[in-house]
Amino acid sequence: MSIEIQGLHKHFGAFTALDDINLTIPAGQLVALLGPSGCGKTTLLRIIAGLETADRGTIFFGGEETTSRHVRDRQVGFVFQHYALFQHMTVFENIAFGLRVRPRASRPVEARIRAKVEELLSLIQLESLAGRYPSQLSGGQRQRVALARALAVEPQVLLLDEPFGALDTKVRKELRRWLRRLHDELHVTSVFVTHDQEEALEVADQIVVMNHGRIEQIGTPEQVYDAPATPFVYQFLGHINLFHGRAHSGWVRLGGLRLRAPEYQDAKHAPALAYVRPHDIDLLREPEDRDTTLTATVSRVSILGSLVRLELLQMPGGETAEVEMTRERYAADPLKAGDVVFVKPRQLRVFLQDNAEAATPMHWGGHGDGI
Amino acid sequence: MKAHSTRPAPAAVTEPPLVRGLLLAAALLFLLLFLVIPLAAVFYEALRKGAGVYWAAIADPYALEAIRLTLLAAACAVPLNMLFGLAAAWAIAKFEFRGKSVLVTLIDLPFAVSPVIAGLLFVLLFGAQGWFGPWLQERDLKIIFAVPGIVLATLFVTVPFIARELIPLMQAQGSEQEEAALVLGAGGWVTFWRITLPNIKWGLLYGVVLCTARALGEFGAVSVVSGHVRGLTNTLPLHVEILYNEYQFAAAFACASLLTLFALVILAIKALIERRALRQRRPSPSRETA
Repeated sequence: MSIEIQGLHKHFGAFTALDDINLTIPAGQLVALLGPSGCGKTTLLRIIAGLETADRGTIFFGGEETTSRHVRDRQVGFVFQHYALFQHMTVFENIAFGLRVRPRASRPVEARIRAKVEELLSLIQLESLAGRYPSQLSGGQRQRVALARALAVEPQVLLLDEPFGALDTKVRKELRRWLRRLHDELHVTSVFVTHDQEEALEVADQIVVMNHGRIEQIGTPEQVYDAPATPFVYQFLGHINLFHGRAHSGWVRLGGLRLRAPEYQDAKHAPALAYVRPHDIDLLREPEDRDTTLTATVSRVSILGSLVRLELLQMPGGETAEVEMTRERYAADPLKAGDVVFVKPRQLRVFLQDNAEAATPMHWGGHGDGI
Repeated sequence: MKAHSTRPAPAAVTEPPLVRGLLLAAALLFLLLFLVIPLAAVFYEALRKGAGVYWAAIADPYALEAIRLTLLAAACAVPLNMLFGLAAAWAIAKFEFRGKSVLVTLIDLPFAVSPVIAGLLFVLLFGAQGWFGPWLQERDLKIIFAVPGIVLATLFVTVPFIARELIPLMQAQGSEQEEAALVLGAGGWVTFWRITLPNIKWGLLYGVVLCTARALGEFGAVSVVSGHVRGLTNTLPLHVEILYNEYQFAAAFACASLLTLFALVILAIKALIERRALRQRRPSPSRETA
């Protein structure tokens, strides 16, 4: 069932939690709400669930308005960050709860409840622990029980609030892959909140990047990583190198670099920021062209498993930069601390500082186009 | 780990045996002097003149009437305070509202105010010369020097017990479990009975036990509003005082021993609840991982 959100606003006193949120989540997708803490993502999720009410705006489930519908009539499954399992009930009774509290007319008979709970227990691979209490389970097991409990009522929409936030790294990775597989099996429209970009990139069909109560970008993992719409998205997803410079009449100057930027034709000495991912930088031994490379010194080399990270001290401004390359590439030319190199960004993106709105990415590889 | 490190290093805060012994002895001596000996004395004095006198003192119509009134006051005060405590704790733990801290402070007021003043307060309000005195007299309603006054005074001094017990408990639990129940389709009433109440049950029982103990033993506030009418407005503690003032020591101690017995039973219940609550909070941990 699709979810459509139109013009949603929410204030807590003077704090704006959500500012004009418009979002459409197609049926059957797994969508991540990604952003730093305090960006409003959990508030948005709770409003979709009906646990919180918006000041303004409307929500539609499958085209039907649900804004004023009570939380218990919305048919959503909600998984809480800290599980919120019923402490005094066994795993079995936790999962059965949603079925047992149905009005008598629609309540399944005991045998049906049993069958349903057992089916879910096998889905979460915890058949043997049906009689345990939540306090006797590990964090990962609790989270799976919480998920089974939410699925028991056959929700039209599944909402998960930082579902893996309280787990350690290894369990977290296992569980999120399991969630992805589960979603591929069930195809229930799901929204999960996370502040972990890796988690969002790995699991989600669509990522909604949020900051300060606004949506910064909506897109597939590739879109938001490769073509960030705003400086914030650039910074929040993955590592970046930041270069300060100025844009003027269609050109951008960053330290010693000078490159064409036709979209800033009208800019007059405007302060500009350029973002470069650490893996989008080539390091050359010989200078190529004065305008396309920067001179720098390697200050530190770290071997990080399959990757090598080099820290650079830039010659002109004293700025630092990080470069990542594969082990093979590094082995071909092992640079050491103290080596002088020529830095050539393969891809970078320039935003004007006062107007940090959309900008097109720039590729340049010394085509001899007069830069 | 090295093989020879068999003896564990002493904990940083462990005292030498002599100091430990002295501390323990001081505590035990104190308990003996101020608790065990007086307690034993109550029963010794009560039974000194034989079981016959003991039974006669308790079976005395006035004594029985005092027991009945004491139990009545407790039976009124405890359920009312349970309702109030639940409502106050719910409001304080689950909602944000103006004047919340004022409410929390007000709940503690009966702890801070001397019971005698609490009693006087009711006399000032409902006594013959009080604010509502004439109004009550016109309608032939008696509160002061009557049973309602005693119930009111008991209610006042026992207000904090249950609320105080529940507020921190409910605050610590938050409302996530209730929210989970609501999302799963449970109504407010079902959520209260099946989720909230089971979660606070031990805290609530503990508060009820403390509240009952205080309600049975209250003296100061009740003494002011009771008027000491034998067989009508005398509670058991007041009855003990009267007997004592009339030099009927054996009878006074017999009734006192009854109150002491109530207290001991309540203590036992309290210990039992604490043990059960502890066991529920800390079940045996599982060694399995996800």
